Amino acid sequence: MSGKNRIPIFPTRMALTTMKSKLKGAVTGHSLLKKKSDALTIRFRAILSKILQNKQLMGATMREASFSLAAAKYAAGEIAHTVYENTTTATMRCRLANENVAGVHLPTFERIKDEGASNPQELTGLAKGGQQINKSREQYVKAIESLIELASLQTAFITLDEVIRTTNRRVNAIEYVVKPRIENTISYIIAELDEGDREEFYRLKKVQGKKKRDLAAKEAEKAQKKELEGVLNPGSSRHQPAQQRTILEEGEEDNLVLFS
Amino acid sequence: MFGTRGHGGIFTFNRNDGYFEALVRGYRAGILTQADYANLIQCDALEDMKLHLAQTDYGDFLANEPSPLHTTTIAEKCLERLVNEFVHIRNQAVEPLATFLDYITYGYMIDNVVLLITGTLHDRDVTELIEKCHPLGFFKSMATLSAVHSVAELYNTVLIDTPLAPYIQNCLLEEELDEMNIEVIRNTLYKAYLEDFYNYCKELGGETEMIMSDILQFEADRRAINITINSFGTELTKDDRELLYPNFGVLYPEGTSKLAKTDDIDQVKEILNAYVAYRDIISDTSAEKSLEDAFFEYEVKLNKMAFQTQFGYGVFYSYIKLREQEIRNIVWIAECISQQMKSKVNQFIPIF
Repeated sequence: MSGKNRIPIFPTRMALTTMKSKLKGAVTGHSLLKKKSDALTIRFRAILSKILQNKQLMGATMREASFSLAAAKYAAGEIAHTVYENTTTATMRCRLANENVAGVHLPTFERIKDEGASNPQELTGLAKGGQQINKSREQYVKAIESLIELASLQTAFITLDEVIRTTNRRVNAIEYVVKPRIENTISYIIAELDEGDREEFYRLKKVQGKKKRDLAAKEAEKAQKKELEGVLNPGSSRHQPAQQRTILEEGEEDNLVLFS
Repeated sequence: MFGTRGHGGIFTFNRNDGYFEALVRGYRAGILTQADYANLIQCDALEDMKLHLAQTDYGDFLANEPSPLHTTTIAEKCLERLVNEFVHIRNQAVEPLATFLDYITYGYMIDNVVLLITGTLHDRDVTELIEKCHPLGFFKSMATLSAVHSVAELYNTVLIDTPLAPYIQNCLLEEELDEMNIEVIRNTLYKAYLEDFYNYCKELGGETEMIMSDILQFEADRRAINITINSFGTELTKDDRELLYPNFGVLYPEGTSKLAKTDDIDQVKEILNAYVAYRDIISDTSAEKSLEDAFFEYEVKLNKMAFQTQFGYGVFYSYIKLREQEIRNIVWIAECISQQMKSKVNQFIPIF
């Protein structure tokens, strides 16, 4: 390629105006996308640090929860089988909600709090180990809540990552591909138009020169003829018809030059 | 001592039951000591624990287990060993020791029955539940469980044939099984069982009555206290709560009627201040040691005392309970090691 990547278009003035407006559009689009990309990147970094924090918290919470389960088993015996058999519906649920960040829809998970519902398993360990079981239950609820939060953060992270990539791709595309092409096209059109103007100018100048030369030649001829007339016939009666004839002839000669 | 009673005198006890008492005392000598626990605490992995346990009476009980050892496996194997010892004695025992040993198993049978009722209520496959039952609580009509599909059938065909039938018939009607909370059923049955066991020990008289009445009274009081504390803030009403207290024990009848009316744990502590033993137990609790731990410790103390006398059946009951505490201790140490929480490892209760 010659390196002159431009849009193939016929170089007229209207094309120039169109290209100029396209360039303006590209510049605005570029700045808007850049702003969006920056906003998303800020959010992205914030989420990253939160994920780190959350993962460590979750590790500690899960550890405590497992340990509290061991303590509950110590106090209450093997409760696992009764608990399994007694479960009917889920007491903890979570719901998918949508959050909008700079035009990007991020899914978030929320825990549905069902305060009024009674837990059919709340009497487990009534005669032995009930307190340890309750403590264990609370610890696991905390663990689930931190897991839900972590899930939200991680999905947001992945979605944002994708979107930032595409946005940056678009920003770079505009900056390095689209704008240069348009600019090149504009400069090409301008160059072509200027060249046309120059040609016009040159042609006019040439025509004027030719006209001048013809005029000069005619003048010289006229002068010669006058001299001849003056020598042959000193009377001036011929001059007037000759003058008349000359003007007419000049007109004809002009026609010959112009229209031949 | 010279007694007109048929049971428990120094002249007559050894004729039928001397061999078994000797067996149990032999087993009791193998219960882990402080030195064993000190070794176990220092282990860094469950494999080390396996090595140390191999040097005690436990021997090679974990020898055939595949390599990454789990705490649940250890618990299962310890329990299996205990069950084998118990069954060995039970198979050879004669009356009245046989009945006494059966009474010990009724507690576990109640847990199994409750598990089966729960499973049937929720339409699970009951035959799968048999594996999850406590081995000391097996009863003969378990074989007929595969034919059972509803709670009514369970009641009429299976439960009636168990030794628990009298408890079930006295306390629970067939319709109630569906509606009552499963824990309430469990505790109602257990209350009936405890009362029955207590009366049986009284009938036996002699050393058995002396040892067992203390132990069973403590059990009754402990259940009353626990039920009270654990039912705060739940849907269990005060009347229902009172129905679950056994009708014997140090706290019965004034303590239990007061407990039935309480609303929070401070009131409970005030009521218990009047009883010396429980006042000491409660003052023994702290942030590190919960009420349950204090109860376990007192229970171990009572059970140890059973071995101080002879010619009574208390040793059999106490041996089972002490072994159970030992299994709890071993599992606790194993969990602390495998979850890297060595700071809490000392919260078990050493026995000897």
